[in-house]
Amino acid sequence: MIIELILFLPLISCVALIIFKKITFSRILVLVNAFALLFYSLSLYLAFINNSKITSLLGQYFKIDALNILFLLILSIVFMAVSIYSCGYVKSINMHNKKATYYSVGLLLFIFTMLGTVLSSNIALSWVFLEGTTLTSAYLIYFEKTKQSLEATWKYVFICSIGISLGFVGIILLALSTHNSSSMFFIDLYSHYSNFNTLWMNLGFVFFIIGIGTKAGLAPVHSWLPDAHSEAPSPVSALLSGMLLNTALLLVLRYYHILNLADCASYGRLLFLIMGILSIFVTAVYVFTIKNYKRMLAYSSVENMGIISIGLALGKTGVYAALIHLIFHSFAKSSFFMTSGNIYVKFKTKRIDKVSDMITCDPPTGWLWILTFIVISGIPPSPLFISEFLIIKELLADKHYIILVLFILLLTIIMYGIARCVINMTFGKRPNSDHFDYIEQTKLPWTMYAPQFVLLAILAFSGIYLCPFLIEMIKTAAQLI
Amino acid sequence: MENTLSLLFSFTMLYMASSGRLRPYINMLVIQGVLLFLIFNELFDHINIINYCFLAFETIVIKAIVIPLFIWKIIKKSETYIDTQPSIPRFYSLIASTIILFFGFIFAIISKHHLPVDNPLPFGISMSTIIISLLFITLRKKILTAIIGYIMMENGIFLLSLSIENEMPMIVNMGVLLDLFIAVFILGFLVKRINRSFNGDSLDKLIELKDTENDN
Repeated sequence: MIIELILFLPLISCVALIIFKKITFSRILVLVNAFALLFYSLSLYLAFINNSKITSLLGQYFKIDALNILFLLILSIVFMAVSIYSCGYVKSINMHNKKATYYSVGLLLFIFTMLGTVLSSNIALSWVFLEGTTLTSAYLIYFEKTKQSLEATWKYVFICSIGISLGFVGIILLALSTHNSSSMFFIDLYSHYSNFNTLWMNLGFVFFIIGIGTKAGLAPVHSWLPDAHSEAPSPVSALLSGMLLNTALLLVLRYYHILNLADCASYGRLLFLIMGILSIFVTAVYVFTIKNYKRMLAYSSVENMGIISIGLALGKTGVYAALIHLIFHSFAKSSFFMTSGNIYVKFKTKRIDKVSDMITCDPPTGWLWILTFIVISGIPPSPLFISEFLIIKELLADKHYIILVLFILLLTIIMYGIARCVINMTFGKRPNSDHFDYIEQTKLPWTMYAPQFVLLAILAFSGIYLCPFLIEMIKTAAQLI
Repeated sequence: MENTLSLLFSFTMLYMASSGRLRPYINMLVIQGVLLFLIFNELFDHINIINYCFLAFETIVIKAIVIPLFIWKIIKKSETYIDTQPSIPRFYSLIASTIILFFGFIFAIISKHHLPVDNPLPFGISMSTIIISLLFITLRKKILTAIIGYIMMENGIFLLSLSIENEMPMIVNMGVLLDLFIAVFILGFLVKRINRSFNGDSLDKLIELKDTENDN
């Protein structure tokens, strides 16, 4: 199997899209890409676990390992759901040929850069692709061309570019710590760690986690996230929240693994812990003042990245819990954002107080909204309950009582804040207005419901029964952190 | 020689910290590009010819000509030649930059024994350049000056990568350059749009998106 094929397909498709510029063609091609990506990712996974030969056309630059295969599979599943949803979304907002083509090209380029980041086996090359994700997704965030989307895009590109530049300083300091004894390939870095200077390595990690953490949505460097997520079209928000944040975090995990190998990760752990608690705290502070439901979901992403970060700081079981949280948060949040797209298409507003009685206006969307909220809050049978429970257990075992109390308290505040909005939007009394009758009559295509229901089914099933192969996969991946 | 060139590079940073006019910023960006070219010539004796050509192209063509020209074009179009309202007076900004630079020198001297390089001065200067650029971005209120600050920071990072005397692979160099190039062009494109939509290019005008209010 050749790894690069998975990268070439979106690029070739982009060329084809620009030549033909037809809405039907672009919808089909995005779907074909999603199916091909899912199929190829599964094939790569099977080849990897069976130790079959996986070749690379570009030498050592792209490789599959236990960690990135997990991220690749999440990416392909989320993209599959988003591409199906996009078919209906493009239709429901009446996109014309040219606009639909550019939207599809933007999506595919964004996927290409995320794939590059996940599959790169060189830390500097991963960085290049990660910067690429900023540039390719900028167009998608500016897609609606409003004043607000322009401001969000500016903040996104500028803040993330600065963050990623600081991340590059981290890479340079890592290179300095190697004393020229290692290349920047992960495999070399993992095998020569004993020769590295721990002072420069730790200093580099500070730059790296702050820089790349910007992109991963960790507080206090998360300020671009609520703006970009709320202004991008909903399928794009689903990809940003469901995959981009993970992709950036993967890079941080790669660096963190070197610190763990060199047994000097205590500062790294502390940074993860501080940024994790701050992320949850920031969300708890803002959750009651937010008036925009997409913004509320964006803050929820900051919170969940914080939970993952705390899990990583706890080591061993914490890392295992963090990976469970990362996988299922991706599915749940992309489903949540796609459902928010349904609400926007129907109600034509992002304001929480202008949406009510969804359960009558559009029952499937109402149920999706409520069910996804249950999953994201970690209420059983949500698999996020397992991860949060494991983190709490680990905090207790490590005797971090203050953090434990803070963690539970902040999560409860956030849950209450989001529940209030979600319940009001779903079951709240509708005003006497013709607008609501019109909303009730507007029908959305089935493709705008099916992906979320499938994702929720996967989540509910995983919450009740975590498949052994998945447990094994997570355990193997955790060994590379 | 590389010490003299690095010092000259640090002086351009001080000049930019003290000036409020956009034209001198552009001139300094050109000078920084040329200085970076000269510094890498001094630091790398045995460099692969392809890498040499690439780095020469990156410094002379991109950093010293294309990017400054592009920014100048935007300045002319937006008719903004001065950053009138910095958050603090420029004199204080100069003092702060000088102090940061001073600590950069101290850092270079202290870390001399821990650094696996022959000459630690460019390393110290590059670290202080990055911090001065961040300060520059924070204290200036025009969107254009924020972009110039970003380019200054990229130049500082370039100097840092030269100072560790560790050659990056060609593919990575190309990627870094491509990303910088596209980022500057995208930011330039956004400046034009912001000028049109927000009637000006002050960062203070970008207040449409708030946590507490949103009309859409």
